Amino acid sequence: MLRLTLVSALVCALGTSAFGETFRWASTTDPQTMDPHAVNSAPVLGFLNNVYEGLVRRGKDMSVEPALATRWEPIDGGGWRFHLRQGVTFHDGSDFTAEDVLFSYLRASSEASDTASWFASVSEVVVVDDFTIDVITSSPNPIFPDSIANWMIMDSGWAAANGAELPAKDSENHATLNTNGTGAFMLTGRQPGLKTVLEPFGGWWGDAEHNITLAKFTPIQNPATAVAALLSGDVEMINPVPIQDAERLSQSPGVKVFQGIEARVIMLGFPHEAEVLKYADDAGMPNPFTDVRVREAVAKTVNVPAILRTIMRGNAEPASQLVSPAMRGYSVALAARPAHDVDGAKALLAEAGLADGFSFGLKCPNDRYLNDEAVCQAVVSMLAQIGLNAELDAMPVRNYWPELRNDNYDMYLLGWSPGTFDAEHPIRFLAATPDADKRLGSWNFGGFSNSRVDELLPMIQSEVDYAKRQAMLDESAKIIQDEHAYVPMYVQPLIWGARENIELTQRPDNFFILRWVTVN
Amino acid sequence: MLAYVIRRVFHSIVVLLAVGLVAFSMFRFVGDPIDNMLGQERTQADIDRLRTQLGLDQPFAIQYWKFLSGAAEGNFGVSYRQGRPVSDIISERAPATLELAAVSGLFAILLGIGLGVFTAIRRNGIASNLIMTLSLVGVSLPTFLIGILLIYVFSVELDMLPSFGRGETVMVGYWSTGFLTKSGLVALILPAITLGLYQMTLIMRLVRSEMLEVLRQDYIRFARARGLRERVVNFRHALKNTLVPVITVTGLQLGSIIAFAIITETVFQWPGVGLLFINAIHFVDIPVMAAYLMLISVMFVTINLVVDLLYFAIDPRLRVDGRST
Repeated sequence: MLRLTLVSALVCALGTSAFGETFRWASTTDPQTMDPHAVNSAPVLGFLNNVYEGLVRRGKDMSVEPALATRWEPIDGGGWRFHLRQGVTFHDGSDFTAEDVLFSYLRASSEASDTASWFASVSEVVVVDDFTIDVITSSPNPIFPDSIANWMIMDSGWAAANGAELPAKDSENHATLNTNGTGAFMLTGRQPGLKTVLEPFGGWWGDAEHNITLAKFTPIQNPATAVAALLSGDVEMINPVPIQDAERLSQSPGVKVFQGIEARVIMLGFPHEAEVLKYADDAGMPNPFTDVRVREAVAKTVNVPAILRTIMRGNAEPASQLVSPAMRGYSVALAARPAHDVDGAKALLAEAGLADGFSFGLKCPNDRYLNDEAVCQAVVSMLAQIGLNAELDAMPVRNYWPELRNDNYDMYLLGWSPGTFDAEHPIRFLAATPDADKRLGSWNFGGFSNSRVDELLPMIQSEVDYAKRQAMLDESAKIIQDEHAYVPMYVQPLIWGARENIELTQRPDNFFILRWVTVN
Repeated sequence: MLAYVIRRVFHSIVVLLAVGLVAFSMFRFVGDPIDNMLGQERTQADIDRLRTQLGLDQPFAIQYWKFLSGAAEGNFGVSYRQGRPVSDIISERAPATLELAAVSGLFAILLGIGLGVFTAIRRNGIASNLIMTLSLVGVSLPTFLIGILLIYVFSVELDMLPSFGRGETVMVGYWSTGFLTKSGLVALILPAITLGLYQMTLIMRLVRSEMLEVLRQDYIRFARARGLRERVVNFRHALKNTLVPVITVTGLQLGSIIAFAIITETVFQWPGVGLLFINAIHFVDIPVMAAYLMLISVMFVTINLVVDLLYFAIDPRLRVDGRST
């Protein structure tokens, strides 16, 4: 009898270690849908990257690697041919074929989808055979495979059987709460806003690196609660850790902090088109920011190292252009920020006939970027050194974008994370002359316009030769930097916290990839 | 009698409509829901299309009318954030809030009455002075701070209780309950104390002052003179007579326990309607905000209506006034 108990206890003990671990993690935002095509936002796409897969995926260093496609090559005349992986099954057991890719293209590029912009250059998708598919683009598109890592493939038969052929944004359908992907994990429980449960998919085509048997995600909105949950061992990992807690947390026993930099560049933006200033004492005065010397004076006055040292507590990297060094197409030659030079800035203002300075309004979000309001306050006090008196108006992000869209600012704070991880992305959205029909410059609130940048953009988009493309990207970046179209300040840090026994990989897009997690 | 009741009900409806109007007119200052629904690669055309789809391009009066006529049929629309019917979401979340409110209400009443009686009887004891001093802390510290302190002490330092959430829940019909599992019960302790502490101290101080009043009455002295035991005097004679005002206050406080669970729910990530509401504000989820505010005002209006009608039944003077006006 005793021996039997002993044996069963032993079996149990062995069983637990062989079966791996339950992993619980928390983040501030709950992915609002389980539909990979309904919303183009990092919390949704990051979460669903564990469940769904694209033709390509990003590795630990953000490089593009084969996923559902094993290889791909450009087609003459524009487009790409993808050779699909054979023997892949969806979570419900149905086979993955080219039909599913075509279906996912139609679904993800439909008007009801939020991801249609990824396919702006695609004119047609053609099924060649069960495991070959052609994506035809109107002109050569060298970065297409790089830009579709988040285009996730959904089972066409499953979607049709459950009436989820199109994504639903303001209503609910089967795909809002259920999934059927090919990824390493499958969704086994979903209570929106409460708990989402994932389990490893036994039939996954890849080799599992993780040892998770059950993964539970809980959104925890209050950062202090999340930190307490990590410290007390109620969760194994939290994202993000508040900057002010990072230091303390890294010294706490049983817990460690992972630090990296995100893809997001934080910058100041100007009104390039406005006739007059709109806020503070000098409202009505001709807009001084149309003068490049004034913009340069701002760039020279903002003391980025000081901001990083104090407000970001040494956790961020300075930025000199619209993308961070980790992105493809970053211009190495332009890596230097304008030196902090108050006297030089004063001289520039005097040259522009504004030696006495002026007052204006600075708009800033207070819940969008890490310590955004504090950064703006620092900028205000720095600009005061050269007589530029900014009146700060900080607000929640839900009020912020409408204000910027209505041109209600004299200067503003913006963060930009290129979805394609390529330097072309911010040029298209932030520097190209706004043009709704061509989907250009949709976040270029200030209306910056430079004919050479506009001319270079389509050439960059279709240039196949890497060196030529980089030369054009460098030229664009140089113009944008010389014109001081924006004042890039720093690359936002990424701070995660985990229990000591957790090994994980932190990717600059802030995606948390479960299959790289090991519980020791 | 009937005229009085009808008038009170009519008043209640006017209050509800006014609350709806104020709430609805404030939503335009909460922000633009569109930005949370579309990604960064959206175009102006996408924004315009979604705005039309949601009816946000229509005049305020029409939006308000649509909301009212929907609400009258029990249809609160679809959440902008989750894309699911608001009534489904709220009925999923309500059990968490109601269970928390029930437990903290119970905690407040039992401990409040107990400590109130104790501090009244042992008026000058060290223990009751200590309790009275500590109760000041309960009244004056803000709820979120109490919550964080409790989490820090009992979860992080002592590792006795969970720091967040509801533990495991069991579905009983449509009701998800945490009463039937150990982790569910354990998870209730800290949030219930946090939420009920203010009410507890309120009830305790009320019971104490009422008790002190009653203990001075002649019939208590007479009861003592009759040689009744101290326990009988205190609990059968004195406490019974202090309970009338206590019950009134407790009834009214029940509404605020539910309504003010928002902060406690945020600190403990308690998945109730309060947390839902905070999230809805963050993401400008207008249908959820509107439904929550309407439900809370319905609750308060109903409680007040019931209290009014009870007074009417109890107090004959109201009946005379009701006839003369």
